[in-house]
Amino acid sequence: MRGVVLWVSGAALAFFVTAGAFLILANLAKVPSDRSLAPDPSSGRSGPALELSLDEDQLASLRALPGQGLDLVVKNEGDRQLSDVNVTLGVSSENTALSDSRYYRQTVQKLPAGEAATVHFDFDLSAPEQTLARASSAVPEPSRKILEIRATTPGGVSGVRTVVLPP
Amino acid sequence: MVLSVAATLVVGCAHSEQDVSIAPLAPASGRVDPGLGPGTRALSSGPGYKGSPSWSPDGGRIAFTVDGYVVDKPADSGELRRWTTRDFVAEDTEWISDDTLVMLGATPSEKTSRSVYRARAGEGSLELEKVATGVLAMSPLPDGEGLVVVLGNGAYESGLALTRADGKVYRLYTNPVGGRVMALSPSPDGKEVIMAVRPPGDLKTSELRVFDLRKGSQKEITRLDGNQEILGTPQWTKQGLYFVAGKEQASPPVDRDGSDTLYNLYHVSTDGGAPKPAPGVGEDFVAASIRVSPDGGRLAVIGRLNPKAPANVYVLDLRTEDLKAVTTNEDMEIKTGPDDLAWSPGGKSVAIVARGTPSTEPEVRAAPASSLLKDFYNLYEIPVEGNDLADEEIQR
Repeated sequence: MRGVVLWVSGAALAFFVTAGAFLILANLAKVPSDRSLAPDPSSGRSGPALELSLDEDQLASLRALPGQGLDLVVKNEGDRQLSDVNVTLGVSSENTALSDSRYYRQTVQKLPAGEAATVHFDFDLSAPEQTLARASSAVPEPSRKILEIRATTPGGVSGVRTVVLPP
Repeated sequence: MVLSVAATLVVGCAHSEQDVSIAPLAPASGRVDPGLGPGTRALSSGPGYKGSPSWSPDGGRIAFTVDGYVVDKPADSGELRRWTTRDFVAEDTEWISDDTLVMLGATPSEKTSRSVYRARAGEGSLELEKVATGVLAMSPLPDGEGLVVVLGNGAYESGLALTRADGKVYRLYTNPVGGRVMALSPSPDGKEVIMAVRPPGDLKTSELRVFDLRKGSQKEITRLDGNQEILGTPQWTKQGLYFVAGKEQASPPVDRDGSDTLYNLYHVSTDGGAPKPAPGVGEDFVAASIRVSPDGGRLAVIGRLNPKAPANVYVLDLRTEDLKAVTTNEDMEIKTGPDDLAWSPGGKSVAIVARGTPSTEPEVRAAPASSLLKDFYNLYEIPVEGNDLADEEIQR
C-alpha cells in the first residue's frame, strides 16, 4: 500500500513539474508576439508624443488686436530625441465664411526625449474690416476666434491644441 | 494532486486565451453623447453657425446652412459638399427632389429683399438659378410636388405662386393675401397651406390664414388679440393646426435662460375658431419651435416642461396626446430658429442644432478645431421611437 501511494505521489509530482515547464515555455513563446503588437514610438501614430502646454493667464489676456503674443511649451514625451519639430499657429474665425485665417510657424531644431522647449509666437488677432459686414448679415452673434496649434515632426510625431477664445 | 494540476493547466490556458482575445474598441460610428442623451448622433462637427437642416426625400443626405452658405453631406458619414459661394447668404434650404435644393436667401446685390434660388447636385459648379424674387417665405409641397412661394406685394399685401421642381412658376395666384405672410406650411395632402400673417397696420404676426391652392381661395382661421404674436411656422397635422404664440419679450428665447419666456403651444381646428392650449403638453409647457412628422401624426417640439426646466426635444403623439422627451439635455443650448428642426423622411429621427454653453474664458481642447462638437453649433440626429413609414416605402 505504501509503495502504491509513493508511486502515485511521484507520478503526480512528475506530471506537475512537466506541466509547469510547458506553461513556462508557452508563456516565453508568447512574449515576442506581444512585443510585435506594441506601437512603434517613432511612428507617433499610437498617440501624441508631443505634449503642448499653454498658459491660461496669457490666453485670457489676448485681445482681438494686432501684436498679440503667446508662449507655448512643447514637450517630447517619447523616448527618442526629435528633430525639426514644426510648430504652427493658425488663427481663424468661428465664422467659416470668412477668409481671414493667418498662419505662423516656428521650428524647434532638437528636442531630446523628456525635454521641453518654449516657442513664442507674435501674431495678429484682429478681424479684417472687409469681413465684418458679411459676418453680421449671416451670423447674428459675434464670432469667436480660434487658435489651432499643431506640432509635427518629419517622422510623424504630432500634438494638437485648439483654443476657442470668447468674443 | 491530479485535480490541482488540472486546475493549474486550465487557469494557465485561460489566462493565455484572455490575452489574445481582447477585442479592439469599436469605432464610434458617429454615435456620441454630447449632452443630449444616449443614441444622439452628430451630423456635423467643427466651427460655423449652422442651421436649417433638411433631409433629402430618400433620407440619404442632409443639407444645412453654415455661416450663410449651403452644404450637404451623406446622412451617415462623409464629406461636405458645398452648394453656394460665400457671396450668397442663405436663410433656409429645402430639398424638392433627391438632387435639387431650393434656397431662400440673398446675394450682395439684393440689399433689402430675398429670393428663392434653385441648384442641382452634380452640375459641377456653384451656379444658382433664380426662381423668384421679392420672396417673403417658401415651403416645399409634399411628395415632390414643387414649391409654394410667397411674394411681397408692397408693405400690406402678399401673393402666392407655385413652382415645379424644375423651377418654373406654373401658377401665380391673383387673389392677394392681405398683410405680409411671414411663414407657411402645407397640409398633409398638399392642397392647402396654413400661413402666419402680419395683418396690415399690425406690427405683430397675429393671424392664421388658410389658402386653398386648388381654388385660390383663402379664409381666416384665427386672429390673436392683445399683444400676442405667432412664433415660427404653424404646422398642419392630422389633428388640426398647431402653432406657437405668446407675448413678445426682450430676453432670449427658450434656448437660453428662458425663465420669463411666455410662448406656448396652441391648437386650433382647420375650420377656425379660438385657439386653445395644445392638449398633452401640460399647462406650464414653454414651446419654441415645432415641426409636424411626415405623416402628420406627431409633432416635434423644442421646449421646456416649465420655465425653469432645461430645453429639450419632445415628440407629441397627436392622437393619444402623449408627450415624450427624446433628449435628456443638461448643458446644451438647442437652437430654436423656425427652420432649425427637421424630421427624417421616415419619421424615425429629428435633426436639431445645438452647442454647449459658450464659456467666457478661453477653452483649450486636445483636438483639431474641425473635430470639435460642443464648442460650436452642430447638427445632431435624435432617434425617435416609432416611425411613420417603413424604409421600403421611403425608397419608393
